[in-house]
Amino acid sequence: MSRNGNPYKPIKARLERVIVESDDFSLKTFEFKLLEGNHFDYMPGQFCEVSVFGKGEAPFGIASSPTEGELLKFTVNKAGVVTTALHEAEEGMIFGIRGPLGNWYPIDKFKGHNVLVVGGGFAFTTLRSLIVYILHNRNEFGELEVIYGARRPGLLLYRDELFEWEKRDDMKLHLTVDREFPGWTRHVGFVPQVLERVAPSPKDTFAVVCGPPIMIKFTLPVLAKLGFEKDKVYTSLEKRMKCGLGKCGRCNIGEKYICKDGPVFSLAELEELPPDL
Amino acid sequence: MKRIAKSKLIEFLKSKGELWVKTREGFQQSDAEAFAGRASKSVKNMVLPREETLLVFFKPDGKNVDYDEIYDDRKRILFGLSPCDAKSIELLDLTFIKTSPTDSYYKQRRENSVLVVLACNSPSKTCFCKSFGYGPFTELGDVFLVDIGDVYLVKILSDKGKALLEGLELEDAADAELAKLEELKSTAESKVQDIGIPKDIADRLYANFESDFWEKIAFRCVNCGACTFYCPTCYCFDIQDVERTNWGWRERTWDSCMFAIYSLETSGHNPRPTGMHRMRNRIMHKFSYYEKIHGQHLCVGCGRCVDVCPTGFDIREVVKQAAKLEVTR
Repeated sequence: MSRNGNPYKPIKARLERVIVESDDFSLKTFEFKLLEGNHFDYMPGQFCEVSVFGKGEAPFGIASSPTEGELLKFTVNKAGVVTTALHEAEEGMIFGIRGPLGNWYPIDKFKGHNVLVVGGGFAFTTLRSLIVYILHNRNEFGELEVIYGARRPGLLLYRDELFEWEKRDDMKLHLTVDREFPGWTRHVGFVPQVLERVAPSPKDTFAVVCGPPIMIKFTLPVLAKLGFEKDKVYTSLEKRMKCGLGKCGRCNIGEKYICKDGPVFSLAELEELPPDL
Repeated sequence: MKRIAKSKLIEFLKSKGELWVKTREGFQQSDAEAFAGRASKSVKNMVLPREETLLVFFKPDGKNVDYDEIYDDRKRILFGLSPCDAKSIELLDLTFIKTSPTDSYYKQRRENSVLVVLACNSPSKTCFCKSFGYGPFTELGDVFLVDIGDVYLVKILSDKGKALLEGLELEDAADAELAKLEELKSTAESKVQDIGIPKDIADRLYANFESDFWEKIAFRCVNCGACTFYCPTCYCFDIQDVERTNWGWRERTWDSCMFAIYSLETSGHNPRPTGMHRMRNRIMHKFSYYEKIHGQHLCVGCGRCVDVCPTGFDIREVVKQAAKLEVTR
């Protein structure tokens, strides 16, 4: 039976490149090439299950954009068994990838409108995918404004790229760190505070928010205060997952499975579900 | 209705393939007479086994990996499922076959199984199948049988059943035998309860998600998970890799939503940190979420969870209490 007939069978992938992202080595970006002539189409916001054979599988949001070519990019925090094994991996090693899984940011809805991206910490991965996608199809969208923060400069993902984006005149980028840091000349303060300071207009604008729970908690009230409506604010959720197919059971909120019905939900959709995060 | 001598049918089935018979304990490879009641272990063990291998992988040099999927391709005759077993398979099919993507491992095992259902002559004290719109004599499966003594009454219900019994000479049932069936049926049906599940239970539970009802019902639960393992419809699973030198396999095993580790995240955060959270999710999955997704409750009323619970937790009581909850939302 082919892979198409077996949703649990990964595609073979070779690790092409490892990039250390953070100054504490906790975050690395892994670029994979699918082997044996395989290719899949995906959209910003989707995720994959990456197999480290012998250790297991873990779900990671796709950090690359489908507009960038064939390499699949994942930025991984070293935390458990699978992610530790990945962090120890060398370029050229063979892994397995199942995907793309889940839904994606509602790009079709965003077309012709402004997009505000609010991100914190290492939850910036699928937001990067979204930003790169929008920049590639720049004329199809209105204004693009991005607020992104981390504890300190060395924990911001994709720094070289961020600094390139800063120079562009077709997007606005606000970078922030939690506290003053030598040589840092941009915003200082938590993401919700910077959001309040920057005060983007909700007019004709969709907001996408991803970050640690504490950031989300304090960011949503600011968005509400600025006048963003709940059906125009999107976020991407995560929970412990195994199958990624809506079958193994554990990642549900109410009758929705984050792996299958999500991970992207609007605040309006989340409000219909029981508080079970 | 047709009829056949018991010994003749068993001989015939044995000649047709790998025969698994439902004894009091559960399904066994045997040529014994099937037990016409609820077995200790359900048919879940036969279609979604406690553990199964999904993939085998080889790592010859620490860099390369080769792997392939492993399927259980044995064809089995499952002989003697009770109607509640058959009903539970219908419910599992909703998740594993009828919801995309189809689970190829489950589907393979399911397609390779012929379901010979045997009416339940002796329901247990905890049986409440009647609450779900069917009963111990509901005709389900590929072939439906009634044990009336030395004889099985037989009804073929599907093409698969027809193919299984091809070449077997069935006689017409005598009037006295049909009368016996009716007698057994009404006796069995009188033994099972209808607990009166409210039509709006899905919304009722949803509306009471934050009620103290859940703390009260979860109080006696010790989170052992026995209910979920014996339950014929609890299907949650785990996937783990087992590693040996240069090779290993990926296996799927039963899991239980009653365990903390089931939803524990690597960060240490657990969205369902206490027994109350986990009990609430289990009951809501059965009586609210499944109905919202598939239009049916994820329970067949077999009563096994009531029988195996070490602290006497009774799901029938929970449903009855839920019926009294106010809908405030």
